[in-house]
Amino acid sequence: MAKDKDIIDGCLSGSRRDQELLYRRYSPKLYAVCLQYAGNTEEARDVLQEGFIKIFENLSRFSHEGSFEGWMRRIIVNTALERYRNRYYLNRVDDIDEVTEPESAPDTDDFAGLEAFDLLNMIMELPPKYRMVFNLYAIEGYSHKEIGEMLGVSEGTSKSNLSRARDILQKKVVILTGVTRRMVNV
Amino acid sequence: MFEREPNIDIVFRNGLKNLEVLPPADVWDSIPMIPVRHTRLRVISGIAAGVAALVSLSLMATWYVRNNNNPVILSEVTTPGDDLQDVQLDIIKASPVTKVSDTRVIRLVAASYPVNPVTEVSPAPVTFDPAAFLASAGTPQQRVVTDEQVTILPDEITVINAGRFAGADESLMATMAEVNTVPAEQRFLVGASMSPSMSFSRSGQSPRLSELINSEKSRPAYSTGVSVGYRISDRLTIQSGIGLASIGQTINDVNVYAGLSDFYAVKSSYLYSVETASGIILAGNTDLYLTDSKDRVNTLIQGNMADPSKYKLTQVGSDIQQVFRYLELPVMLRYKLIDRKFGLNLSGGVAYGLLVDNAAYTGEGSELIRVGHTEGVSTHNFSSQLGLGMEYNISKKITFNFEPLVRYYVTPLSDISGSLYKPYSLGFWSGFSFKF
Repeated sequence: MAKDKDIIDGCLSGSRRDQELLYRRYSPKLYAVCLQYAGNTEEARDVLQEGFIKIFENLSRFSHEGSFEGWMRRIIVNTALERYRNRYYLNRVDDIDEVTEPESAPDTDDFAGLEAFDLLNMIMELPPKYRMVFNLYAIEGYSHKEIGEMLGVSEGTSKSNLSRARDILQKKVVILTGVTRRMVNV
Repeated sequence: MFEREPNIDIVFRNGLKNLEVLPPADVWDSIPMIPVRHTRLRVISGIAAGVAALVSLSLMATWYVRNNNNPVILSEVTTPGDDLQDVQLDIIKASPVTKVSDTRVIRLVAASYPVNPVTEVSPAPVTFDPAAFLASAGTPQQRVVTDEQVTILPDEITVINAGRFAGADESLMATMAEVNTVPAEQRFLVGASMSPSMSFSRSGQSPRLSELINSEKSRPAYSTGVSVGYRISDRLTIQSGIGLASIGQTINDVNVYAGLSDFYAVKSSYLYSVETASGIILAGNTDLYLTDSKDRVNTLIQGNMADPSKYKLTQVGSDIQQVFRYLELPVMLRYKLIDRKFGLNLSGGVAYGLLVDNAAYTGEGSELIRVGHTEGVSTHNFSSQLGLGMEYNISKKITFNFEPLVRYYVTPLSDISGSLYKPYSLGFWSGFSFKF
């Protein structure tokens, strides 16, 4: 199996074959990230496509410090955020407080690993603003201040959105697994 | 940085960590072929190579022009068979005008000169004898193939349209000039060199700096490149060129473990930093856990979340190697103390360095793992160097040089406030140069 560095070098020299190799190797993991942020398959597909274009365009900037997968993941997350800002923040539809149903959820049959898919499905069903804050805080590890700057909301809004997201997710986990609130809560 | 977090966050983080979902098949087809973008190092290297190529081409062109302007078609010579031939003469060798002081008059007397048969190539005359030269200028197609010797007397030779040779009154004796056959002055030189060296640091500028320097060890340094020179006088030469210099050091007793990213979600561009004499290493490789006993390692991780005893981390190194590469543009003056087959030179000059690579590694051999880079390293620096060189003239044009030298960094390599890190190095410069 070719090493990442060899594939990256191949991509940098303009090899379409190596670009495809890179895509085939990492697209399943990154597509899962796209679904986590996008909330539906159509949007996730667009994020993946746009993200990979950015990855190939900026490959020469990867300094081989740290994880290559982590570097690509950050690009995908940023792409998803950019699209979110354009769609929800700039169009000022972000202030709706009530929980909304997702546009469309992926078919269970499309995925392997049911347990992980259940978790993914729960996140995808969150309203966009809750989903974004939960992903950025709980999965990526950003602070509320940073999330506020990324999403253009206040720190307080970020905190309350996270709290709301956790509540929704907890309920869903309890329903799905039967685990009591005590076990999954603080 | 990380607050104590609810279990629900961990359930989702760990649950989704290795999730893979096959994307729709047509996504790849909608990603166009992306043109390659080059890094800054590649762009700089490309420019440097271009400049070097242009300089080389210019010098070669100068050399070609200097050496190929001389031959001219001087005249037509009538041979005994009344046929006309172009005769190519070297104006430098033939012209009395070129260097009057070095000329001597040759007086020709009537004599006979054998002409070689057509099938043989006429050897060039060893001494410049005009009659022999003209006889051997040759009109092979017109000559009869025979072993019979042909005798050409000077009065049978008529030089047309060659002012300095034409002289009807000197029918028996041509006045010619012979210039001393001293080669044209070789003022330019090009060369390639390699210069291994060992760097040292002066300690004592501050207690902390001394402490850091004492826990570091210099790595073998080198510089390599091409040089061009111009001889200002018989003994003095000015030299410049372009090269790549690499220096660095080993930071001892820093234990490095790999595998942290399996246990720790990272959002920042680095987690650990290591204080060194030449700057602060930021460990951009967030898979690494670093620790030392000399208070040089700092981390953004609070608490004991990344305690290696809690996780299965593999030790991958016990030190860190810092490497800095500079693109160098030196200007040197070289003075010949002894100018013989074995020569002796005294050289001195300065070099400008542009930082083109800054990296920190751990591990050994082919198992090197990139840790990160050093913050606070000056992008530009100036160094001075002094050498006493021996040279061996392999031929009139090629010289082998061997030159012990001392280099001192005039500007500090790091710009960390309060510490002036200015190493010096001892090494030798060795290479070949070609004079023209």
